[in-house]
Amino acid sequence: MKRHIFGLAVLALAASAGGASAQTMSFADAGALIAAQCGASIERFCARDDVGTGKVASCLQQNQKDVPQQCFAALQQAEAGTTARLAAQQATFGLCQDDARQFCKGVKPGDANLLDCLLASYKVVKGACRQGLTDAGWAN
Amino acid sequence: MTAFTRRAAGLALVAGLVLGASFGFVDRASAQSPMSSAEITKQLSEVTQFDPSLTAQVLQGMAQRAVAANQPLPLDQSEIAKRLAKLAQIDVQIQFALNSAVIRPQSYAALGSIADAMHHPILWNYRFLIVGNTDTTGTRAVNLALSQKRAEAIKEALVNLGKIDPARLDAVGLGQEALEVPSKPTDPINRRVEIFTIGTMSAMPKPLQ
Repeated sequence: MKRHIFGLAVLALAASAGGASAQTMSFADAGALIAAQCGASIERFCARDDVGTGKVASCLQQNQKDVPQQCFAALQQAEAGTTARLAAQQATFGLCQDDARQFCKGVKPGDANLLDCLLASYKVVKGACRQGLTDAGWAN
Repeated sequence: MTAFTRRAAGLALVAGLVLGASFGFVDRASAQSPMSSAEITKQLSEVTQFDPSLTAQVLQGMAQRAVAANQPLPLDQSEIAKRLAKLAQIDVQIQFALNSAVIRPQSYAALGSIADAMHHPILWNYRFLIVGNTDTTGTRAVNLALSQKRAEAIKEALVNLGKIDPARLDAVGLGQEALEVPSKPTDPINRRVEIFTIGTMSAMPKPLQ
């Protein structure tokens, strides 16, 4: 019974990881999405606000009634997707520890040497590591 | 980290036929699309050398003194340009609102590509200098100030939206003091933002046992 519950938990974890993977997003895609859904509103209502200060986001909120709902959905999607992407990038080398020990012994870390090795071994690395590389945006 | 390539891609203009103190970029090779994060990553990681004495403050001080004295930048086109040219670098395509440091939405994706590149493991341990440049249209002082604001706006966006550690980024505007093509000072080709790989954050980690 215990083993069964453990099995379920693993399945649930795998499912949630799979779900997350569908949602990780590059910053380039996030930027393109926001530009597509919010660009017109930003140029119309927030043309003097620096985007890096967060003022554009608050300006869009202030003009909520005139800004399409898709824009707010895009902002949320971009935030969630890039946050998930960064989390995946942080987690990946941990998930790949065993594979790195097995396939990348002696590789000098830094300058993405370890990543290059893992990608070269992509076909043989284990599920979690492989999924991590994909979620991180580093696998092709 | 392989062969040193000087500026394989310069990218497209933008702020167009704008008056005075705007800078955009003109593509020398006439490629039209913005660089992908993979291309940015590749070029910024082609490090052959660093120049630890070439900091944002040093560059800014040189430019400010030259403008204040209304003298040509003493090291312009020779020393500064030569030293910068040896670093791994890219020209980026960012559109700004006219005479302002506001980044326009059509450049959000390009900014995102830069953030993606800086989050790639090959660049994790590196620091960057963002340099804004104008052509000589407009006044020197205005060009200097605006290019500084624009370089800072890019840094701010990379930090706050792109989640890049601010300790990895320096920003400096050089106005019209470091022309790309000194023989054509008003050519928009001189308007550009460049990002240079200037050094490492910490020692590289040890090999796996």
